[in-house]
Amino acid sequence: MDGYDLVDVEVTHKSADDILDSLSNDADDHIQSVKATRLQGGQPDSELRSLKQLDENSVKMLEHQVDAAYRALFEMDGKALLADEVGLGKTIEVGMILKEMHFRETNDSVLILTPAQLAKQWQAELLEKFGLNFVCNYDDEFSGFDDHDYIIASIDTAKSDRHRTTVLKRDWDVLVLDEAHYVKNEETDRYDLIDRLSYNYAFFLTATPIQNELTDLYNVVSLLRPGLFGTRDVFHQYFVNNNQETLVNRDELQERLHKVMIRNRRADTDIDFTDRTIDTRKFDPSAEERELYQAVSDYVKGAYSQDQGQKLVLMLLQKEVVSSPAALKATIEKRLDEQSELTHADELESILELIEGIDTVTKQERLLDIVEEARENVEKGRVIVFTQFRATQRQVLERLATEGYTVHSFHGGHSSQEKEQIVRDFEEEGGVLVSTDAMSEGRNLQFCNILVNYDLPWNPMRVEQRIGRIHRIGQKRSVFIFNMALKDTVEEYVLERLYHKIDLFQQSVGELSSILSRLEESGTSFEDEIFERLVNANSEVDLENDFDDMAINLQEQRDLADKLEEFNSGVFDGFDLGASDD
Amino acid sequence: MTDAAVPVTQSAVENFAEQYLRSIGCDIDKQGNQWTVTAPNEVDNELLTESVTLVCGDNVDDEAAEELHPESPFFQTLLSEASDRAPTGKLSLEADNADAQLPDWLQESDLEVSSAKFTPYYDRTALVVLFRARVETVSEYQTELLQAVAIDTRSESFLPTLEQAFLQRVSSDTELKSSDSMDMQAADVRPLLDTASGQVVDRIQRTIDEIHQEASRAADAEVEEFRQMQQQRIGELEEQLSNLSARIADLSDQINSSDESKRVEALKERKTLKNEHEDIQAELDDLRQRRDQGFPKRQREIRERHALDVQVEPLTITEVEYERGDLEIVLTTDEHTLEFTAGYGTGVGITETVNCSKCGRAFTDTNPVEDIAGGLICLDCSPQE
Repeated sequence: MDGYDLVDVEVTHKSADDILDSLSNDADDHIQSVKATRLQGGQPDSELRSLKQLDENSVKMLEHQVDAAYRALFEMDGKALLADEVGLGKTIEVGMILKEMHFRETNDSVLILTPAQLAKQWQAELLEKFGLNFVCNYDDEFSGFDDHDYIIASIDTAKSDRHRTTVLKRDWDVLVLDEAHYVKNEETDRYDLIDRLSYNYAFFLTATPIQNELTDLYNVVSLLRPGLFGTRDVFHQYFVNNNQETLVNRDELQERLHKVMIRNRRADTDIDFTDRTIDTRKFDPSAEERELYQAVSDYVKGAYSQDQGQKLVLMLLQKEVVSSPAALKATIEKRLDEQSELTHADELESILELIEGIDTVTKQERLLDIVEEARENVEKGRVIVFTQFRATQRQVLERLATEGYTVHSFHGGHSSQEKEQIVRDFEEEGGVLVSTDAMSEGRNLQFCNILVNYDLPWNPMRVEQRIGRIHRIGQKRSVFIFNMALKDTVEEYVLERLYHKIDLFQQSVGELSSILSRLEESGTSFEDEIFERLVNANSEVDLENDFDDMAINLQEQRDLADKLEEFNSGVFDGFDLGASDD
Repeated sequence: MTDAAVPVTQSAVENFAEQYLRSIGCDIDKQGNQWTVTAPNEVDNELLTESVTLVCGDNVDDEAAEELHPESPFFQTLLSEASDRAPTGKLSLEADNADAQLPDWLQESDLEVSSAKFTPYYDRTALVVLFRARVETVSEYQTELLQAVAIDTRSESFLPTLEQAFLQRVSSDTELKSSDSMDMQAADVRPLLDTASGQVVDRIQRTIDEIHQEASRAADAEVEEFRQMQQQRIGELEEQLSNLSARIADLSDQINSSDESKRVEALKERKTLKNEHEDIQAELDDLRQRRDQGFPKRQREIRERHALDVQVEPLTITEVEYERGDLEIVLTTDEHTLEFTAGYGTGVGITETVNCSKCGRAFTDTNPVEDIAGGLICLDCSPQE
């Protein structure tokens, strides 16, 4: 690209009058002045000053992450494409960057745009690992893009007619864009939104900057650093071999990308996870439990067909019935109390009666087998049992205590001090910790290596978050995950037909994110999809087929995500995009 | 090219702060990483009132204390105060305070230098100037370089070795604590500064060229974007024109076939539409014409905006006295001894080219002197063992 000479160069030799005025002055301190001038001309030995403030128990930072945060901030002047391979912790890198900017007070307003399904996950991670408080557009307190300074939002909410003007009206200090490959196409509203946004610093994240063609890379990079690659035509002529759609002039491309992109490869890091063993245990429900499940499922189906506005509460009932009768009971009683004119009151009353008729809760009994095995084989018999519901938690705790186990309870109602104490007690005393999903991501529970999913969230990220609490960097032992499910229930379908099909329990958070965001791209919400299939199926066979369909779709998304990752690795193979050792 | 900038590490910060504060008469009481700095009454200094507590690093518990690290406001102010204090001065590089600087072709040689004796004959003066060079354009981050240029005041020749020697001496903690005022007058300094400033531009030309290329690319991308937008606008206008033409044609049909009152109405409307048609046609013609000419005005604006602004500014000027004379060097091997003399300057090194006695080529670091049997013999000419 030599001879690309379109702009003038103007050279000004500035006057020396001011200095020459001092010729006859006292020059005792001249050497100090020369030294000071030399230091002023040097690069400050910048460092991530905020790192010292981070709690090592909340976040374990790896060398490649610290390096990426440093380079993005100090060598790329705060505009970077973080393109690590999947699973290397790009979110952590951004967390460090934001923490540092917070420390240096250069983050008066921050906008993080993510796929919808990942927004809450971002919010939790930034709070728990970095103490950074963001409001999410799904929070009740969210009252518009002009009303908060630290916002995590789904990119589609931000670009919607309702919010777009407000989003574009502000001058943001920092923009973070997760899964940045979704702005690869310059014809889309998403691209247009990012192109028009006003910001000082920007950090784009993607493991696969190239989705279909090399122009994707051009588009994403040009949003961050307009003009870095020149015009689209020049980029194509110079870097792309049109016959084979491959890269040419790689060295120069690397040199330019080096100014804006950081890509760490798994092979170059020292991330090493221990083995993970999955043991899924399915149990026949008792006749009473089966009857209750059927009654609740029929009720949900009927009520939903009449009023789709009740979706959330109906979904909740469907989840609770497989968790525990106690959880279900609380919700139904509340529903009966709150809505005296409920159309299906009779049905609900009869469900209550069925609940009363259950003496033995199958899952609870079977849980005893697992904790007993642990008591015999594992140091201090430590087991973490996760449930989504407080009522289930209470019942499980009571039962375990009755059997003589040391128990600990963890839920969102504790203060943070109490939470810390509970975790400490669990570590010291051992026994069983029964926790809701309020257990924070950042808590260090590597001292335990057995986890029981007493019930299963329908959001796969939740499942991964649970597992991530014990199976993380620093865990030295193999990890055992027990999944408990009642046969012929939604739980079994979700577990067997979906989660196992996509190999959820063996996926890393990064891999799962890429599958989920691909899924979202095709307009699908995981939980909604499950619920819709459940209530709309006409027969048992239909239901099985529906779930198989969903599994195929998931499998396709996963394969596509894998292929893309492989393709990008191929394209960037041989690229040393890390910091130079010189 | 002599890059004069130094990395601003924590230890560099602490060293400089201590030296500078002591040089202006402050007392420093160090307790671990905490320094209590007491300024004498006569110090005229905004930073130091009577006493200030400095904490090295950024782990400050005491709210009244000042942080001392590369990015701390205290240190930045200290630097700017120190650099403004005495930007000009004079120092001497004398033979007795500088070891003889041997050229690369001797340093790389396996021969032993048994003695190197400098006999000064006359004093010379050079200016060593630290220049800040800034290269700026809208699409790139500003590039800032600090360059040292040494120039002999009489011959106006550049003395790169003297630049190195000067920077080395200045950065040493033990040597050179103070200097005198310059003897030279402003009128004599100015032409030398102009020559040195030009030299800076020559030396950073490669950097300028790289940034120039990048700015050109960015400008080109912007011109292209503008061209596409205008092309889109042309398309829209063409569509509008075609719609208007169709409506005008419809109205013409109506005018021919309808009754009086409707005809008048249609005539009015057709007139309005024709005016509109003319306006759009004019805009379209103008746009097409500008497109065919390549939007010269806009291109000019974009290119002007992306133009590179290179600024070279002298920050410090040091008059350096050095001595010129002869360096008598004695080289020895097991069998031979050879003595030769070469022109030499303190801080400047050997000032003349020395050639191989056999092939007549100048010695270099890659072809150093290798043998002294019968003269100075280069590596290439020396017999292989």
